[in-house]
Formats: sequence, structure tokens, C-alpha cells
Amino acid sequence: MNERHATTTLSAGTAVGLAGVLATGFVAGWERFWINWIFWFLFVLTIGLGCLFIVALEHVVSARWSVPLRRVPERLSSLAILMAPALLLALLSLPVLYPWTRPEAHADPVIAGKAGWLNVPFFAARAVACVGLWAISYRILVSGSVRQDQERNPRFNVRVRRFAPVFLVIFGITITVVAFDWISSLEPAWYSDVFGVYIFAGTFLAGLAASTLAVLYLMAKGKLPGVQADHVYNLGGFLFAFTVFWAYIGFAQYLLMWYANMPEEVFWYKERLQGGWGLLVLALAVFHFFVPFLVLIPRIAKSEPKRLARIAVVVLLAHWLDLYWMVFPVLGQGPVFGWPELSFALFFIPGSLLWFRHMMSRGAAMPVGDPILREGLEFRL
Amino acid sequence: MNSEAVASTNELIPEILRHPPVLDGVVTPDGLDDQVLSTVERKPPRAWFIAFTCTGIAMLTGLGLMGYTAAMGIGVWGNNIPVAWAFDITNFVFWIGIGHAGTLISAILLLFRARWRNSISRFAEAMTIFAVMVAGLFPLLHVGRPWLGFWLLPYPNQRGIWPNFRSPLIWDVFAVSTYFSVSLLFWYLGLVPDLASLRDRTRSSVRKFIYSVLSVGWRGSAFHWIHFERAYLIIAGIATGLVLSVHSVVSFDFAVSLVPGWHMTIFPPYFVTGAIFAGFAMVVMAMVVVRTTMNLNHIITMYHLEVMNKIILTCSCLMGYAYLLEGWTAWYSMNKFVHHAFWAYIAGTYAWAGWLTIACNVLVPQLFWVRRFRRSYPVMLLVAFGVTVGMWFERFVIIVSSLHQDYMPSAWHLYKPTYVDIGILLGSFGLFFTLVLLFARVLPVIATSETKAALPGAQPRHAGGSYE
Amino acid sequence: MSNTAFSVLGLFDSSQQLMEAIPSVKAKVSARLNAYTPYPVHGIGKALGLRKSPVGGMVFVMGLIGALSAMAFELWTAGIDYPLVTAGKPYLSWQSFVPIMFEVTVLFACFTSGLGMLFLLNRLPFFRHPMLRSKSMPFVTRDKFALAVEAEGQALDVDAAAAALRAAGAQMIEVVEQPAPLAPVSPNFLMRVFSVIGISCLVAGCLTYWGVKLFPVTIPMVHMLDQPRLDPQQENSYFGDGFGMRMPVAGTVARIPLPYAVKSQNDASALGNPLPRTESVLKQGRQAYDTVCAVCHGLLANGEPSLTSAYGAKPANLVAEKIRNYSDGMIHFVIMNGKNAMPSYASDLTQDERWAVVHYLRALQRALNAKDTDIPKESRK
Repeated sequence: MNERHATTTLSAGTAVGLAGVLATGFVAGWERFWINWIFWFLFVLTIGLGCLFIVALEHVVSARWSVPLRRVPERLSSLAILMAPALLLALLSLPVLYPWTRPEAHADPVIAGKAGWLNVPFFAARAVACVGLWAISYRILVSGSVRQDQERNPRFNVRVRRFAPVFLVIFGITITVVAFDWISSLEPAWYSDVFGVYIFAGTFLAGLAASTLAVLYLMAKGKLPGVQADHVYNLGGFLFAFTVFWAYIGFAQYLLMWYANMPEEVFWYKERLQGGWGLLVLALAVFHFFVPFLVLIPRIAKSEPKRLARIAVVVLLAHWLDLYWMVFPVLGQGPVFGWPELSFALFFIPGSLLWFRHMMSRGAAMPVGDPILREGLEFRL
Repeated sequence: MNSEAVASTNELIPEILRHPPVLDGVVTPDGLDDQVLSTVERKPPRAWFIAFTCTGIAMLTGLGLMGYTAAMGIGVWGNNIPVAWAFDITNFVFWIGIGHAGTLISAILLLFRARWRNSISRFAEAMTIFAVMVAGLFPLLHVGRPWLGFWLLPYPNQRGIWPNFRSPLIWDVFAVSTYFSVSLLFWYLGLVPDLASLRDRTRSSVRKFIYSVLSVGWRGSAFHWIHFERAYLIIAGIATGLVLSVHSVVSFDFAVSLVPGWHMTIFPPYFVTGAIFAGFAMVVMAMVVVRTTMNLNHIITMYHLEVMNKIILTCSCLMGYAYLLEGWTAWYSMNKFVHHAFWAYIAGTYAWAGWLTIACNVLVPQLFWVRRFRRSYPVMLLVAFGVTVGMWFERFVIIVSSLHQDYMPSAWHLYKPTYVDIGILLGSFGLFFTLVLLFARVLPVIATSETKAALPGAQPRHAGGSYE
Repeated sequence: MSNTAFSVLGLFDSSQQLMEAIPSVKAKVSARLNAYTPYPVHGIGKALGLRKSPVGGMVFVMGLIGALSAMAFELWTAGIDYPLVTAGKPYLSWQSFVPIMFEVTVLFACFTSGLGMLFLLNRLPFFRHPMLRSKSMPFVTRDKFALAVEAEGQALDVDAAAAALRAAGAQMIEVVEQPAPLAPVSPNFLMRVFSVIGISCLVAGCLTYWGVKLFPVTIPMVHMLDQPRLDPQQENSYFGDGFGMRMPVAGTVARIPLPYAVKSQNDASALGNPLPRTESVLKQGRQAYDTVCAVCHGLLANGEPSLTSAYGAKPANLVAEKIRNYSDGMIHFVIMNGKNAMPSYASDLTQDERWAVVHYLRALQRALNAKDTDIPKESRK
């Protein structure tokens, strides 16, 4: 489909979605509204942050092969900045969704004890700090790279190579804060110290899948000349490896909680394994691990654009399912997917795609100012 | 990687961004052979004999004390109730951890096609095998009747019982033995072409016979290389998963329990990171010695050491993150027993060990942010030694500090190691380094065929994909 | 043409020269081409027309077999054959079987890869290949690249092959001869081989016997049998009389009412059954009876146990009229003191259990001597 057509369709979808989103609060209830809002902003935020992490990681290890592809995750990471106002808006959901904001919850000594961390002012301060740090990092990592297209100044590479490790530290802390604050504190009695790593695994994988999908799409459109099957193979390899990593962390957390069977920990899993949620977990295991793992084992699969694109879509859907399975059970019902969820989907997904297309159109599709670009294009396995 | 294209594009890139050469100077395949394989063919220098004597004495002392333990029972150790695991499991986890760097370097870096791995992969893999051999002695010894160790294996028996597959200790048996076998296989396969080189160079008929048998008649046929490369890459890929799993299974020994301070879900990735951390420190120390004593400066270059130090720095930051998370989650859990366990870590009897751990693991390696320190022998050795000490004490703190004061105050008891414990620990280092010294003399320490394959000009131009 | 030549080799200085030589030699020669190199050369498989390696498929299949068989084995042993309750987990606790399943998968996969490659695909070890005895072999393992025109059992046009190789730029040409036929095996040699095998078997057998039978009972392996503790009837020099076992201190009071003052069965009727006839007492009595009495008196107390043939004496029929007419106290007396061939069971049953057995016996007596009036009116025909 041609560009104008696509933009119109996406805009139409977003508009319809927006209408539904606005209606949800009044018609379906504010709890439903806010749970969707939290879930969707987390989904898009994690994709954006995952891409920003990819960019920083590429700088830290001085990867050559990924330089031609780097503009794609750079542009996708702007989704994190786009979600910043959504995150700040989500602070309004605290009294609705988060039990620890209510004074009755403090009758439980476990929650009362955590009040030093789980209180609205500190929570909000953390949220603002995270957004601020991401904005600064984005400016240095991405805006600098885009500027290099014009200035052709290799000093950017030197600067960013020094900053990228610092961003990795920032990322580690902020993604942990996001995980514990926004997801884990929905059920404040629960705790798991690997949770930050688990969310990181999903985030990185989502960023990889989104970047891979975008790269393959742009390659099909001819926008990335010089990018070969060899580059694509590496993307496929990373997707494969981090699918395994996510499954490892996810299963390890489950196994340890299952084995010790401590009531104060295991209730979180119990809720999420009963009834409809149990089926969802099965789907999660199948689509987040078994399908990508088995499909990507053969060497050719990792460099075949069609197969890889399909698997990238599966991984993104699975990441969606992962967040859904973690967040929605607090509603106390089985898995729900009605018009509110559909509206939010119509709002966020085409909205993000529109944003990405807009960002990509603002500059070159490759970091043309990077002196290492040529070496990157010459990469062969 | 197409090396001539690299050379031409390299000129366009500012000096500071250029990919540093992996090897110093001009290295040719026959020069490589002469340099590396000749150490195997020569008599060792005096320094080697002195080192061998020292490590040999430590090893024999350790083995003797192990025999004493087997004869007299675990009572000669300092273990008590509740501190039923102390030096034994600390040493086990420590040594298994040391092994992980080898697999990471040889397997994971092979998958990433990092060229710098070739110079150090053989040595690192050998260190893995020796570390796992040393580590395996401890679970066997700590059961009290090591001669009945075969009971851990599932074989049909007249007692009508099977091992308890639900227990992480049995998971350990499978994980460690799989790790050992696979590492040994991987190391051996990589050695086959080098043994063929040795077979063809040697003039001694005894050596020729030995090398012929060991190299199974390898002749470098393209028909064979095609299968060899595939099998080698596949094992490398699978070994990557194995590395993650082995130390995770070891961490399960602790994390599935209810002991406060042990049941932390972050243990699997935390242990794996710690293992890589300790392993790289050991590899760095070994490489510094190899560089200075075996005249291999241009093959194991400062670049290799610098990259390894960067990895050590990364792991140090990850360990810092893990400690932070553990401490914060301990508070967040609002579990008074966990609170007490962490109070004991920082202010209890063994708090000195806890602070030593943090200083050695998190603070000292931060020196590596400075490039000059990454390339300096004294700083490198200080940091690597500090990490080794820090990681040992980290295991000690996790095990002994958590155990000595858990739920019931009436069961609290301090722990003091006996001379047998300490002697066995020193002996384990002696055993490890004895094996390393023997390896350095008997087998080529550098994977010559792999290094030759990655030299500039080694591969034909315009070759797409691999040998296929 | 030569019938004795195995192959004609041409040595080249670099992999580049080798790759350039292959097409030109292939065009001039009809025999099979092979290359001998010190390390794998990229692209040579395609140049020589080699098939892709099947190692990947083999590994996948064996890995799958490993995974399934490990899980099945664990489920069978821990769930069916030897079910142990561990930490309250269900018998078929698949979660706890995953780690071992993973390790076994890795083991099967890696060994298939490594040993399958060596033994099956490469057919190594093989020490009689003519290449191993050629002059070029040391050059090949060092730094030269050999292109070989191989005979494969047919006659080889040596001159044409050598000319083609020289034209392609080979530095050194060598004609490798077929290996000399193996000498027939002499009887002496066979005898030596079999005697070595025989002696090894003997030695292995002796070591196994010693290992399994004698080693566990040699010192220090027997130390656990001979422990520094006080065993029953062991002497002890701590006490003046040398006895390890001591009598209770004078004035010790029994914890349960032990004294049984009844001297004869006739006086026993004075004691009545202190326990009420409730369902729980009857249940207790049944359990005690089945454990201790039914061996000889039978489960129905009719003197028909499963062990009759083993004993000379015939145990009493406890539901016969004689025993029915005994008082509770008289039955209790027999339990306490035994009768005829029956020993005293005072130490086998607690006081409560004894009286409960009496109650149960009464129930059995009633059941095996039922009257019509015992059947409820509604059920009577």
C-alpha cells in the first residue's frame, strides 16, 4: 500500500481508538480505563526503552555490523519519549489501581512497613526522575546520532562511546524501578528480586523484535541499501538467544516460587495460573518461547526475511501477552478482552506506527554521518 | 570478516575509532606453529619446575587432607549444625564458577564471531575443565562416604530406590557432570587439528604414536572440515545454554530452600554473573603469567587483556546491581527473618567478610573505568586477585552467614574453619594450578588452527557466508 | 594411467590461490577433487561441490529424544515407581524435572554433535589413510593448502592431473600411492591379543569384585559401623560394675499405668473394660488387632490366619462360643500373660490398645455369629 494510504488508515484507526479510549472511563469504569492505560503505556514504553538499550549496547561493544541498522532502533526509541506524558498521566491511576495508596491497606503491617518506598510523593518523584533520565539519554544517544548525519563529526562516536556504559547503568536502575513500581506494586505484598531482570529480558526482546520487524519492512521497501542477509542473520540470532534468556529468567522465577511455596510469594502465581489465566500462561509459554525457539533453530531461518518477520510479530504479540498476564489479573476477573481493550489497541498501535513513520521520515534511514558505516555495510559472516 | 576491506576503510576512520588489531605485528601460520607448538616440544624452563614444585606441594597437602577427611569423617571439618555447609560448598560453587569464563570465551564468543577469542580460548577451556575437576571433588567429599558416591546416579538397584529427582542436589550431579563432559568434548575436538600438527612435527616415535592416536588420524580434509565446523559451532551454541544452566542449577541449591537470605529469585542470573566474573579474573591472572613467561606477547596482546578487563568491569557493575537489589528486596519483603539475615550480612559476626566482598567485587574493579588501568599489569593483577578473593568470600558469606543464624535462635551457632578446611582450600588451588602447569607443557596453549584461520589473509577474498 | 596412485596433490601457499585453482583443475580433470587445509577455508565447500552437513538435523533429533526420555524417566521413577513425598509436592511435579531434562538434552545433543561428527560422518579414528604417510602432510598441518585429485578406486591419469595442478600454480606436486595391503594376521599375534584381552578381563573382574564386595567393608569405610557410642549390651568402664546398660534410678515412676496385679484368669473378670464402645475405639482396636493379632488368629478372628501351615500349634478360634463367654477382663488377661503357645503381648500393645482390641473382638464375635434379628426389618425377606 502506498504511503498516503497507509497514513490515512493509521490515522483513522488512531482516531477511532481515541474515541473508544475516552469512552472507556465513563462507560466501562475507571478501573478498566486505568488498567488499560497502564498496560498499554508499559507495552509501548518497553519497546522504546528496549530499542534505546540496543543502541547503547551497540556503542558499548563497538559493534560494526549493526551500524547500518542503528537508525531504526534509534527512531523506535522515541516511543519511550512519546510515552513520557502517558506515564506521567498514569500517576493519576495510583489511587484507583494501587492498593497501597489507600489508608485501609496500611492495616496490613507488610504494606505499612513499605510505606517509606510506596508513597505517592516518592513514587511520583521516581517516575519523573526516570522520565528525565531517559530524555537526557535520548538526547545524547539518538539526537546526537541524527545530528551527525549533517555535521559528519566523528567526535560524536567518541562522546557516545563514553556515555553509553553510563546509560546502561541508568537503564538497569530505571527499568528495575519501572518493574517494581508500576507492575509489582499493583500487588504490594508480593516481592521477587529477579523481577527487574525479568522485565528487562522482555523489554530487550521486544526492542529486538520491533527493530527486526522495522528493519525487514524497510529492507523490503528498499530503504536500506547495502544491508545483506548477513546482517539479518545476526538479528535473527539475537532474537533466538534472548528468547531463550527470557524463558530462562521467567521459568527460574516460577520454579523458585513454586518450590519454596511460601504463601507470601506464591499467591501472585496462584492468581495467574487459575482458570482462564492458566490457559493464557500456556499460550505465553508456547508463543514466547517454544514457537520462536523451534522456528529459529535452523540457520537459514535466522536470515530468511519472511520467516523472521513473522517470528518478530509473534514475539511482539507474546510480549503483549506477557504484560497482559502480569497486569490484568488485579481486576479480579478472568482474562477480559472487550471493546475497551480493542479501543486502546486501536489507539496505541496505529498511533505508535504513525509516530515511527513520522520519525523515520525526518532523516536518513541509516546513520550516514557515522564513519564506521561503510565497514558495517561490508560485514559478512 | 573481510580483512582487506577493513584495512582500506580503517584509513577513513579517525584513529581513535579504528578497530585495534587483534594481534601485534605480523603473525604467520608457521611462525605461530613455531612459537606455540615448540613449547610442547622443548624442556620446560627452571621457573616452571619451581612453580610446579610449589603447586605440587599444595596439591599433595590438599589431597592428603581430603584422604584424612574421608578416613576420619566430616567431624574434622568445622561444620556443625546449623552451619552444615561451609568451606565445602563454598569451594564447590567457587570452582564451578571459575570454569564458566572458559566456556564463555570459547563458546559464546565463537557465536559472536569475536576474533579476539582465538588466542585465549584453548587456555580458558582447559581452565574450565580443571576447575570443574577440582570443584567436583567437594560434593563427593562432603557426603562423608565418598566411596558410595555412585548412589547419586540413577541405576536399577536391589534397594528398589531411585535418586530424588526433585532435589536440586541431584540436579547438580547432572548439571556438573554434563558440563564436565561437554567441556571436555569441546576442548578435545578443538585440540584434534592441533594434535595433528604436533604429530606431523615431532621426530620422536613415542610422541608420534601418542599424538597419532589422540588426533584420530586427522588429515585436514575439506570433507571433514565441513562436518567439523558445523559440529563445533553447534556445540558452542548449546554450551552457551549449558553455561547459563549449570550455575543456575548450583544457585537452585540455595534458592529453592527457605533459609532467609537464600530464597532470593535473583540467585540464578546473579550466580551466573558472579561465575563469569570470577572466571575472567582467573583467566586474566593466568594470561598475564603466560604472556610474560611464554613469549607470546604478540599473540596474547594487551588488547585481549583490555577487553577481558572491560568484561570484568561490566560484571562488577552487574554484581553491584545484584547486591543492591538483594538488599532492597530484603527490606521490601517485610519478612523479619530476611531482615535479620541481611542485618547479619552487614553488622553480624561475619560482616567483615560481607564488606570485604563488596569492596573487592564492586569497588576495586571500578578502577577499570580508566583506560590506563585496564592496560596496566599491577592494577590488573590487583583487581583480578581482589575479585578472586571477593568472590570466594561472597560464597562464604551467603552460605555461612545465612546458616549460622536462621529462624530459631536456639539453633544459632558460630562457625570456625579447622586447619583441614583451610588446607583443603589451599590444596584445591594447588591441584588446579598443577593441572594448568602440566597442560601448558604438554598441549599447545593457543588454538593454533583457529588462530591461523583468523589471521589477515587467511581466508580467500569475496567469500560469502562460511565454508558452505 | 596408474592403478597404484591414490591421489595427486598440489600444494599452494595461500587459501586464495587454492580457491582460484579449484575451478581450473576441476575443468581439466574428471576425478574427484578434495582439499587438505590447516584450517577450514570459507567457501571451499561450495567450490568443491560438497553437500551441507547433516549434523544439525542429527543434533535436533537426538536432543528431542534426550528431552523426552529424560522427562519420561523422571516422571516414571519419581511419580510411579518410587513415589516420595518431597516438600509436599505432587508426585508428577514436572516443574522440578525440567533442570535435569535440560541437562540430558544438552548431553545428548552435544555428544551426537561431537562424536557423531567424528565417528559417523568423518569416520575417524582412521590411521591408514595414505595422506597421513605423504610428504605433504606436515606442510598441510603447518601452513600450506593441498588440492588433491583422488582416484576413488579407479585408475588415475597421474600426468594429466599433475599438469592441471601445475598449470593452476601448485608449488609442489606429489603422487600419493595406495597403502600397502595389510599383512595377514599371524597366529602368534592373535594369541597375544586374546591373552591381553583375557588378562584384562580377569584383572577387571577381580577389581570389580574387590571393589564391590570388599572395599566397602575395609577401614575406613566401616567407620560408620563402629561408632564411639554406647551400643546395647556393650561394656563401659565409666561405671563400677562395667555395665553400659543401667537400671532406672530407684524411685522412678512409670509414665503409663503399667502394674497389672491380676494373677490368674479367674480373677481377671474383676477388671472391666475402661474404654467406651465408640467408633474411634473400635477403629483403634481394629488397627491394633490387624497389626498384632491377625497374623495368628486371622483377620476374622476365626483361627484361620495366613500362616497356619508354618506353626505346629493351632491358634484359638476367638469367635467360638468358649471365647464369647469369656469376660472382657479374661481376654485382657490372656493378652497380658499369653496362653499355651501364645506369648505375652503386653509389650506390643499399649493399655488403651489392649482394651480397644477387646472391644473389636466383641464386634467380630457378634458379626460372625449373627442372628436373623440382627438384620434390619426392612431388609429381611
